[in-house]
Amino acid sequence: MLRRLPQLALSYAQKLTLLAAVPLIVAVAMIAVVVALQSRALAEREISLLENQLIEAKKAELRNYVTQARNGFYFIYGNAAPDDSAAKAQVAQILSAMIFGEEGQFFVYDYDGTALVSPRQTDRINTNRSGETDSEGTPVVDELIRIARDGAGFHSYLWPKTTTGEEARMITYVTSFPSWQWAVGTGVFIDDVLASVAAARADVETRVQRTFVYIGAITLAALFVVFGTGMLINLRERRLADAKLKRLTQRVFDAQEEERGRVARELHDGISQILVGVRYALENTRLRLAGGKDGAQEPLEKGIASLGEAITEVRRISRDLRPGVLDDLGLGPAIKTLTEDFATRTGITCAFETVVFRNRLDNDARIALYRIAQEALTNVERHAGATHVAVDIRGHRKGATLRISDNGRGLADKNHARGSAGLGLRNMQERMEQLGGRLDISETQGGGTTIAATVPLSHMLTPQSKSAPAPKANPKVAAE
Amino acid sequence: MTALPDPSPARVLIVDDHPMVAEGIQSILESYDDICVIGTLSNGRAVIDQLETLAPDVILMDLNMPEMGGLSTTEIVLEHRPDTRVLILSMHDNAEYISSALSHGAMGYLLKDVPTDEIKKAIDVVMSGQRYLCTGAQGSIAPKDTPAREALTEREQTILLQLAQGQSNKEVANVLDISVRTVETHRKNIKRKLGISSTAGLTRYAMEHGVLQGTGGDF
Repeated sequence: MLRRLPQLALSYAQKLTLLAAVPLIVAVAMIAVVVALQSRALAEREISLLENQLIEAKKAELRNYVTQARNGFYFIYGNAAPDDSAAKAQVAQILSAMIFGEEGQFFVYDYDGTALVSPRQTDRINTNRSGETDSEGTPVVDELIRIARDGAGFHSYLWPKTTTGEEARMITYVTSFPSWQWAVGTGVFIDDVLASVAAARADVETRVQRTFVYIGAITLAALFVVFGTGMLINLRERRLADAKLKRLTQRVFDAQEEERGRVARELHDGISQILVGVRYALENTRLRLAGGKDGAQEPLEKGIASLGEAITEVRRISRDLRPGVLDDLGLGPAIKTLTEDFATRTGITCAFETVVFRNRLDNDARIALYRIAQEALTNVERHAGATHVAVDIRGHRKGATLRISDNGRGLADKNHARGSAGLGLRNMQERMEQLGGRLDISETQGGGTTIAATVPLSHMLTPQSKSAPAPKANPKVAAE
Repeated sequence: MTALPDPSPARVLIVDDHPMVAEGIQSILESYDDICVIGTLSNGRAVIDQLETLAPDVILMDLNMPEMGGLSTTEIVLEHRPDTRVLILSMHDNAEYISSALSHGAMGYLLKDVPTDEIKKAIDVVMSGQRYLCTGAQGSIAPKDTPAREALTEREQTILLQLAQGQSNKEVANVLDISVRTVETHRKNIKRKLGISSTAGLTRYAMEHGVLQGTGGDF
C-alpha cells in the first residue's frame, strides 16, 4: 500500500510562491557569486599592478643610488691598483658616511663574505658573513656576492630594522667593484608597500562582502514583495470566492423558494380544486342515495373521473419535480425520455445513443448528468436554432461521459454565453466540478455546439453493489 | 405454459408497499370467482422468500418498493419459477418503464389508476399466456418495438461482471443461488445482446465500458 506523505502535499498557492521564489533565490545567488569573483579578479589585477609599480619605483631608486655611488667613486677606484689598501679604506670610509633616511646605508662585502662597510650595524664589520640566511632560509650574503660577481642585480630577503629590531622585507641592489672583488650595494625596506597592498586587498574584501549584504537585502526585499503580493492576491481571491459563494447560496435559496412557490400553486390551483370537486360529487351522491332519488350513478362517475384527473395531475407535478425514471431505471432511460419529450415538444429531431449498461452511476452523478442534459436541451431550444440534436451517454475506462451535440449556430458570435445560457453553462460547470468531473464545450465543425460532461470512475457503481442478493440470504425482512 | 384457460382459480399474489393499494386491489379481485388472492406482500425480498410456498400463478407487482424493487424481483422470481406471470402495477406512464418491465421478463404492465375491471382483464390475458399492456396509456406506453440495442438487466450485468472476473458458470450459480442452466441462459442472452461470442470478449467489453474498474478487492 502506498502511504501518502501529507507534508509533501502543497497547496496551489504554495506551489506558485515556491515557483516564483526558488528561481529568484537561485538567480540572485549565482549573480552574487559571479559579481564577487569578477570584482575580486578586477581588484587583484589593479592591486598587483600597483604593487609592481611601487616596487619597480623602489628598485629604480636603489639602482640610481648605487650607480651614483659607483660613478662617484670612479675617480678613486678607476685609478687605484687592485691591492691599493689606502684607496680601499678611503672608499669604505666615504661609503660608511653615505647613510640616508631612517634605515638607508651602503654595504660592502668582499667576495669571501667579509663585511667591510656596515655603518648602522658596525659589529658586522670585518666579520665573515658567508652562509648567512634570513629567518625564512633565503641565503643573503652569498647571494649578494653571486649577483655582484655576475655584474649587478636585485635581491630580496627579510632583514631586521635597525630602528625597531623587527624583521621586514627588504629589496637590495648590488653591484661590484670587480678588481677589488667587492660587492657594493644598498637596500630599502618595502614593508610599507606590502602593507598598503594588503590594506587595499582587505578593502576589496570588505567591499565584496558589503556587496553580498546589499544583494542579500535586495533579494529579501524582492521575496517580501513576492510573498506579500501572493498573500494579497490570495486574500482577494478568497474574498471573491466568499462573495461568489454568497451569491450562489442566494441563488440556491431563490431557486428553492421559486420552486416551492410553484409547487404550492400547482397543488392549490390544480389538485386542491379537483379534489374539492370530487368531494362535491361524493356528497351529491350521498344526498341522492339518502333521498332515495335516482341518478346517484352520475355524480359518482364524475367523481371517479375527477379522481383520475387528480392522479394524472399529481403524476405530472411529481415528474416535473424529479423524474422517477431516473431513480428507478437509471440515467439512460431518463435521458431517453427527456429526448423524446424534447423532440415532441420542439420538433427538433433528437437521436439518443447509449450502451447497454444501466444504473451504473451513483445518485449524485445521475442527477448532475440529467440536469446537464436538461439544461443543454433547453439551451438548444432557446438559442441554438438547431434542427437536430444527438445525445450520447456511455461508460468508458475513465468514467462516464454525456455528450450533447447540436447543429445550430454555435457559441461564437453570440452574446448569449453571457446571458441566461451562460448562467446555465456555469451551472453545468459547477455541477461537474462538484463531482470532480469535467465539462467541455466545443464548437462542432460547420457550426453547432458539443457539450461533453464527464464524471470520473469513482462515481460509477459496480453491478454487485446494487443488485439483489441471493434469495434467502436475509430471510427476516422488515415488512414495510 | 398452458395456453388454455385453467378451470381452477388463478392464484394471485399482490406485492405493494402501500397497504391501501394492496387492500383495495385485493377486495376488488376477491369479488371474482376465478381469482384466488393468496396473499399480499410489501417487498420483493418477501416474495422471493415465500415464492415456493405460495406458488403463485400471477404476481401483481409494484415497481417502487423498499429493499428490492419490482424489476429485480421479477427477474429473480422468473429464475426460480419461470412459469410465473408477473404483471407490473405502476403509477408511471413512461414508455421506458414498460420496455424495462418487459425486458426484465414481465408479462404485462398496468397503470394503477386504470378502471378496476381492467386489472381483471389483464390477469385473464396473462393467464392465457399473452402479454398485456394497459389500454389507458397504450399510445404513450406502447413499447417502440425492439430498440436497436437491448439493455442488459440488473441480473445480466451482475452475471457479466462475475464472468468477466473469470468465474465459471458453476461459481456464478452458487453465488446467486440459481441453477447452472439459468446462468447459461443469462450468459446466452448477454452474448446475444452485446453481440459478443467469447468470454474474453465479454471481459474486454466490461473493461472498455468502465464496468470492471473499481470492482477489485485491493482498494
